[in-house]
Amino acid sequence: MKSFVKGAQVLALATAVSIGWASAGTAGSLNVIMEEVPDFDIVTKMTKQFEAANPGITVTFDAMPYDAMRDKILTSSLASKATYDVIIIDNPWMDEFSRAGYLAPLDDLIKSSAGYDFNDFVGPLREIGEVDGKIYGVPYYNYALGLIVRQDIFDAKGINVPTTLEGYVKTVKDLTGGGMYGAAMQPQRGYKIYEEWKNWLHATGGDLMDASGNVIINNAAAVKALEMYIDAYQTAAPKGSLNWGFDEALQAMATGQAATMLSYNWMLPTLNNPNGPAGKLAGKFKLYEVPGGEAVLGAWHWGIPRNASAKDDAWKFISWITSKAVDKERVIMGGAPIRISVINDPEVWEKGAGKSYFNTVLGILEDAKPLSSGDHAEELIEIVGTELSAAVSGQKTPHEALDDAAKGVMAANKK
Amino acid sequence: MRKPDLPLQYRLMVPLAVVLLAVMAYPLVFSAWISLHDYRLTRLADVQFRGWDNYLGLIENQQFWTAITNTMTFVVGAVSMEFVLGFALALLLHRVRRFQNFYRAILLSPMFITPIAVGLMFRFLLNIQLGVVPHYLNKIGIHVDWFGVDLALFSLMLIDTWQWTPFMLLMLLAGLESLPKAPFEAARVDGASAWLIFRRITLPMMRPVILVALIIRGLDAFKVFEYVYAITRGGPGDSTETILFHIYKVGFRFFRMGEAASMAYVLIVITLIIVTTLYWSMNRR
Repeated sequence: MKSFVKGAQVLALATAVSIGWASAGTAGSLNVIMEEVPDFDIVTKMTKQFEAANPGITVTFDAMPYDAMRDKILTSSLASKATYDVIIIDNPWMDEFSRAGYLAPLDDLIKSSAGYDFNDFVGPLREIGEVDGKIYGVPYYNYALGLIVRQDIFDAKGINVPTTLEGYVKTVKDLTGGGMYGAAMQPQRGYKIYEEWKNWLHATGGDLMDASGNVIINNAAAVKALEMYIDAYQTAAPKGSLNWGFDEALQAMATGQAATMLSYNWMLPTLNNPNGPAGKLAGKFKLYEVPGGEAVLGAWHWGIPRNASAKDDAWKFISWITSKAVDKERVIMGGAPIRISVINDPEVWEKGAGKSYFNTVLGILEDAKPLSSGDHAEELIEIVGTELSAAVSGQKTPHEALDDAAKGVMAANKK
Repeated sequence: MRKPDLPLQYRLMVPLAVVLLAVMAYPLVFSAWISLHDYRLTRLADVQFRGWDNYLGLIENQQFWTAITNTMTFVVGAVSMEFVLGFALALLLHRVRRFQNFYRAILLSPMFITPIAVGLMFRFLLNIQLGVVPHYLNKIGIHVDWFGVDLALFSLMLIDTWQWTPFMLLMLLAGLESLPKAPFEAARVDGASAWLIFRRITLPMMRPVILVALIIRGLDAFKVFEYVYAITRGGPGDSTETILFHIYKVGFRFFRMGEAASMAYVLIVITLIIVTTLYWSMNRR
């Protein structure tokens, strides 16, 4: 039987290996997997400088949609020789990938890089890349959520932007009417509703698990957060938006149908760009911290696969793109900030989205908590996200949904 | 000279047999093997034999049975609508003499669009706030939330019907055109009505074609994935979670390949039972 198992694994891996050999980085060339989003364009443009400064290294990007990345990284990691020399790792994958042995620790490389200043990265972002006392990821991009509002509407009505959850629910209800909805929400099952609702959960003092690892997703704070979320959806969100995700909510804000939304902090410059999706409404949006002040923090990190063949060159690229000087340029070009020194740089304020925006971003990042963590982070998001959707759509009561979510989380943690 | 051990026809089949074994038998046997193990892509160094545990675990796996129920509902609903519409269109096209190829080309075109593109297209066409369809329906006083909890699965059936009715049309039209003319002429001479001819002659003679069309479309509909992936992601709640989407989640997002393989094998058994029952019921006299 053992030989059968070996045979099976060898054949299963053979495909991955052959794919790897077809395109693996050789001396002088780096293969980098990236998500096909606007920040990828910024990195691509900037990489020309890296190649000019390092004539012996050519960087090739393999950009793809988010959903394809996890499989690709896994396939590359299972091969004897990696397809990718540099990968980007999403927040929920960090613990799982590092504990599965896919990632090379970066501690020694960081220590050996003079002037790199690892502690300059915002604390919560830095901590996501640290697993079991070792560093496996260097921050690349933050996906922390903030409250984006139509400031002109708030000013016209003389309303202050709410800082508590209770205040937020009341405000979005008050703003609803006459073709305007108070909140463009994202209750799409799974990742989106989980990401949005977890901000509400933080605001009522809840969390997925307590410090001892006990599942507390069905405690009173969680029930309160879900009841308030459903209340806001039913009274202040566009009708029939049960399957809305990021695109639809952004569209509703950009077309003037909604007055607020919880979204990624770096969407503000996009909405305020006169050539962006908001058109004539550009300049009327402003960013605030989420109600309650503890935002959900999603983040991408740069990492090096353990089976990568060009680790030194890979680190040379990562340490370059995340260095203070290059990161400053990236943020000025529109990239999401990760370094404290860059966020506090007056030149960045002036050339970027302004002092107020960057101060708010720093406030959001410093208090933010990771989207999800642990070996089953991806599955926990799906389990809780499904139950939340069932509650918002009326298939279950908040109590039932959260009890089922707790059972699901506990079962997943045992697997 | 020694006579070859195997007759020529069998020796000629050897390359094909080897290829089939490599591309079909091996994956099937391997997936059956992993379905009996705790086989995770993130723990390949620690694969444990689980016996029938993965299969027994499915008995209490509510999500799995919800996904099976959703899939069965989808298959029955979508294939029934496709059959009725496809047959009606085939009967109409069978009578058309002018521009027949033009009509066929138009009617068959949805079938040639990739399902993921169809899913994305309908995601925005039916979006209640942004979509063209709800916009015009609103103008005549009809307000429908196509992806709400009550209608989401039905909307996916409608999308499938839009895309795959042409397949039914193609199969059934080919069947109609191959029927002998004599029984129809004799019935008309005897004064049979159009309905009587359809019920007593067309339907019985079309039975083998109908059976094949239903089986092929039914099996294909069991594999519904793209519309769910592009539009609802299984929601709201788990109202549109289909079995293939569920297997994909467990296998390729949570990396528990053993559990996913056991689900796939249960699906194969269910599918075989349905096909056999359908075949038996259509062929009995």
